[in-house]
Amino acid sequence: MLTLTSPVEIWAHRLPAGLKLGFLALATSGLFMLDRPLWLAAAALAAAGLYASAGGRFALAGLRLLRPLWPFLVVVGLWHLWTGAWQAGGVILLRMATAVALANFVTMTTRLSDMIATVQRLARPLAVVGLSPRRLALAMALVIRFIPVMLERMEQITQSWRARSPRSPRWRVLVPATLAALDDADRAAEALRARGGAG
Amino acid sequence: MERNLTHIALFAALIAVLGLVPKIDLAAGVPITAQSLGIMLCGTVLGARRGALAVLLFLALVAAGLPLLSGGRGGLGVFAGPSVGYLVGFPVAAFVTGWLMERTTLSTGLAAGAASVIGGIGVLYVFGIGGMALMLGVTPTEAAFLGMAFLPGDIVKAVLAGMVTQSLARMRPASLLSRA
Amino acid sequence: MPDPAPSGIRLDQATVRLGGRVVLDGLRLSLSERRIGILGRNGSGKTTLLRLIAGLIAPDQGRVTVEGADPFADRKAALGNLGILFQNPDHQILFPTVEEELAFGLVQQGLPQREALARAHDLLAGEGRSHWAQAPVSTLSQGQRHYLCLLAVLMMQPRTILLDEPFAGLDLPTQARLSRRLAALPQRLVTITHDPAALEGADRVLWLEAGRIALDGPPAEVLPAFIAEMERIGACDADADLAG
Repeated sequence: MLTLTSPVEIWAHRLPAGLKLGFLALATSGLFMLDRPLWLAAAALAAAGLYASAGGRFALAGLRLLRPLWPFLVVVGLWHLWTGAWQAGGVILLRMATAVALANFVTMTTRLSDMIATVQRLARPLAVVGLSPRRLALAMALVIRFIPVMLERMEQITQSWRARSPRSPRWRVLVPATLAALDDADRAAEALRARGGAG
Repeated sequence: MERNLTHIALFAALIAVLGLVPKIDLAAGVPITAQSLGIMLCGTVLGARRGALAVLLFLALVAAGLPLLSGGRGGLGVFAGPSVGYLVGFPVAAFVTGWLMERTTLSTGLAAGAASVIGGIGVLYVFGIGGMALMLGVTPTEAAFLGMAFLPGDIVKAVLAGMVTQSLARMRPASLLSRA
Repeated sequence: MPDPAPSGIRLDQATVRLGGRVVLDGLRLSLSERRIGILGRNGSGKTTLLRLIAGLIAPDQGRVTVEGADPFADRKAALGNLGILFQNPDHQILFPTVEEELAFGLVQQGLPQREALARAHDLLAGEGRSHWAQAPVSTLSQGQRHYLCLLAVLMMQPRTILLDEPFAGLDLPTQARLSRRLAALPQRLVTITHDPAALEGADRVLWLEAGRIALDGPPAEVLPAFIAEMERIGACDADADLAG
């Protein structure tokens, strides 16, 4: 399945996921405590340095991941300019962009399997409220397994609609799609039971 | 036991799939992404607890690096961005939608629609708008102004959630775990 | 490979109702042959019978035992006694990659994940399919997915394998390969199908009709009778009755 991990292998890929997450948590908390524009600009520059250390192709992919932020940057930038609080605006925008860029950096340099293993390790304390790590691992695997199956099913539903109707099905695919999810859940439960259950 | 787990997993997959399929044309030329509809359906079909767990499972996979949010977004970055309030609000929205669904005595379709409006819009917007105000350094009123752009689409989705749930109730009454 | 124990599969007055309708009606059976076929039309209850034997559902009345254990209540014993190959591989595969799918059953039987993965790799190597290990199951063809399901079942080394329409939807070369593979297995096989041709090599064939055994015997006796009856029904032009 498609992931956000960068195919360009850089030095940070070799660091353990837990370490990167730890640094990310520290750095993000730090960012939210800084409120001087100069300090934040330095932090943003450091983040840019991280990307630069990975080379052009990686940095470009990183920029592309920041794209969903542009509308917010523009709207908020203009708003703060208009109200005259340009300094406060700058602080907020720099902080947000840096925090997102750092978080993306960790995602881009950590393989999905390592990240899932870390998520499962972090969720281990939840065993006291009845969520066993094994069940969580099983549930995550099931989701990844069934996303392509369900995408294909949606495509089939659309096609069988089109085969008998001149118009596109629009929202009407939703009912068969949801029914299919329910049926898949029943069958997966049965297959799971046939091989020893969810214990 | 197994059915609980697989229902939670399959609905987490459903939320993902609804965000990945090309926008659904509501009427010609009015495209919406159906992801938040998936959140509503988690509540109306699975009920409060299972619905919220399905959403949490979905978010865990997004955080792990799968680009499952509508528009192909994902990874840890989205939790540091301006929409983080919506993400935090997703499981709460599903829970409240499911909770209302389990308790109301309204007819299924009406109940699902109303629960989706309260949980999937009301509750979600409180979190989403609060998050934007916090992250963007604007007042809640100003943030609400930004958030309201999605209101018409979301109302349509709540109506659809009601219709879909109603159809499920008619075609497969036993499938509505929220009303079991 | 374990030999099928003499006790085999036993049903004692087993009745199953689904949605108020009697699907299996007081079945009494003792199955201990190596190759058993269960033959029936759509709606005859054959898939329900398979699920009953597999312990996926419990009988409403009567008793089911496999090698002396109740497959519904005693899941641990059932795992070693029974494997089931569902008709549609997509209803059976639970994991995104081939190695995880293969390893799962062993982990369920108590093996550590690492060792289970190693055994999965061994099995794939033995099948000349080492390159499958990391492959996403969504990239496998229908026939390959079916094969993967069989391997996943074989990993757990059950004494009996239940097969639900094992050849449906497979092209001829894949059918030939699968049936060769199945024929070589030391396990007891219970094949459920509507197609008499699939049961020619069986030791015993049971013809199921409306939840009861219509005929029980060697294929040479049951198959011609079944075919004659199906042709007789097919010649009538009435398929309008609704079930229930």
